[in-house]
Amino acid sequence: MIGLLAFPEFRTPERLWVLIVLPVLVLMYLILMRLRGRVSLRFTNTGVLGAVMGSQRRWTRHLAVAMSLCSLVALGLAWAQPLGTEKVPRQRATVVMVVDTSLSMEAEDVDPDRLSAAKTAAQNFISGLPDSYNVALVALNGQPSIKMPPSTDRGALERALLGLELEDGTAIGDSLALALEAVDQAPVGDNEEPAPAMVVMLSDGANTVGPDPEAAARNAKQAKIPVFTIAFGTQNGYVDLDGTREKVPPDVETMKDVARTTDGRAVSADSADSLADAYKEIGSSVGYEEIRKPITAQYAFGALGFAIVAALGAVMMAARWPR
Amino acid sequence: MAPAKDPGAATSVLKAPTGPTVPLNKLAPEAALRSLELTIVRRLEGFLHGDHLGLLPGAGSDTNDARIYQPGQDDVRKMDWAVTARTTVPHVRDTMSDRELEVWALLDVTPSMNWGTEGITKRDLGIAAIATIGFLSQKMGDRFGGLLMKPDHVTRLQARSGRTALYGLLRRMLTEPIVPDNAPGDLELADGIEQLSRSYRRRGMRVVVSDFLTAGDRELDPSVPPPWERSLRRLAVRNQVLCVEVVDKHELEFPDVGEMLIRDPETSFMRYVNTSDASARRRMDAASKAQRERIKVALRRAGAGHIQLRTDRDWVADIARFVLNYRRVASMLHQPPQGVSK
Repeated sequence: MIGLLAFPEFRTPERLWVLIVLPVLVLMYLILMRLRGRVSLRFTNTGVLGAVMGSQRRWTRHLAVAMSLCSLVALGLAWAQPLGTEKVPRQRATVVMVVDTSLSMEAEDVDPDRLSAAKTAAQNFISGLPDSYNVALVALNGQPSIKMPPSTDRGALERALLGLELEDGTAIGDSLALALEAVDQAPVGDNEEPAPAMVVMLSDGANTVGPDPEAAARNAKQAKIPVFTIAFGTQNGYVDLDGTREKVPPDVETMKDVARTTDGRAVSADSADSLADAYKEIGSSVGYEEIRKPITAQYAFGALGFAIVAALGAVMMAARWPR
Repeated sequence: MAPAKDPGAATSVLKAPTGPTVPLNKLAPEAALRSLELTIVRRLEGFLHGDHLGLLPGAGSDTNDARIYQPGQDDVRKMDWAVTARTTVPHVRDTMSDRELEVWALLDVTPSMNWGTEGITKRDLGIAAIATIGFLSQKMGDRFGGLLMKPDHVTRLQARSGRTALYGLLRRMLTEPIVPDNAPGDLELADGIEQLSRSYRRRGMRVVVSDFLTAGDRELDPSVPPPWERSLRRLAVRNQVLCVEVVDKHELEFPDVGEMLIRDPETSFMRYVNTSDASARRRMDAASKAQRERIKVALRRAGAGHIQLRTDRDWVADIARFVLNYRRVASMLHQPPQGVSK
């Protein structure tokens, strides 16, 4: 029923012209109200009547008319076949998981450390996806690589995920380009269009090597592949490298830009729990697609409700004279 | 299922009736009323010899004071021998004159009387009441006249004696055109009563037939006199006044007819009223009752006899019941104010 509040799209908007009848009806009602010579009851003792029944509500007698009009509006809209959005589970899809394995993932601001937490969360996320989805894994570091091409083999994928090792550098742009390559490797059956693809990228730092991520994001946009990004880590996370302590805050802005460019979503997580929530949030976007469907029945139901109230009002006001 | 009954006067709740709702021969059972007599307790002034006690001495059957015999002026046959013997002075016995009764009936025909839900309108019920009282007062030489009070003027119908003349009067009243709703004119019942007491100075009986409702009046307190009470009291100083209050059942019991646009035939009142509201109907019934109580008290204060007739009841039976009771209470009821002879 939420679709009723916002003005919906219609499959046959030209039928909305029928609603022009309504102002005409309202006008006729007002004119008839003003007209003299209405049927009225003569009564002799109106001085006392007026004093006794002074405070009667006047809106009730317009209620039936207003409800009828509402019913007609709803029926007119229903005739134009309004379209609502409905979430239906996707049958098939290609999901590319991009997991950051740069040295900053060593930071222990997330219990037990960032990489382990990311692995656990990604594992849970993957096990929640339908079996028919092709899932690929890309490691994000200085030299990003496809650790697992798209496949439905969950066992191999989990082994690849758990086998991720820390490496130097963070090339977000390159890894995104690689993720797009991985999408192309997805197996396509006979007489089948390529399954809709999306990239889930988890990263905890800024781009340090390789091209700007924006360029890769624009490519993804062209390929109509949304990139869901998770900025992982706390603002005061640090790692000790060669005896120096370096701060490694996540680059939330870059992640957001990438997601916005590719029509994906950006979420951020700063603990193992919130990371699980972030994956869940993304999972609802990945696992379901929104399709437009006529919701004529909802409108017809609304019209029925209004019509019932209008009918009750009309019965209440019915004249019963003489008995 | 019962056959659809003739709506009769019930259409008057929607629009003013176009003619009488009761025929002339149904107004009153003339023969049945002959055995009843309307008690006249006030002394009368008339020209003619009649059956009722007059105000002044004259030829009559009722004895009055004894006075000293005036030779050459008094008839010796009127000698009161008992008084003469006691006083040793010749006395004659005076008699009070017997006079005819003159009845004037004022009928309110303002639009609020053109209303009735039970087969007869209040106006026609008033005419029927006048007919019944008329036949009750058909003694030798008694005259009966009528006044029709319309919103703009009062029409006078000449007083004549005899039942043929009474039928003529009733026919005139029945065929008098119905006053349309919201007719111009600002005459009220008080003005009609004033005119009645101004025009006919000779003592007699006066009948006022109305619903005693003042258009737009919402007063319910009986200690506040209605606007017509003062004129009625003045009329009752010299006359025996009988007030016939005609009401409809649905003026006392407010009908349940759903949401209705209600208008007044005399004022500009027009309003939607939810008559299905039970508590509002109860309040309205209580207010109507209080209003009728106020009318009753005001009529009693003015020293007038009071008959309440309802359109859903037999007016002949109601009037007969009143007349039987009236014999006992009339002399108390019509006591003149101090300083006015009976």
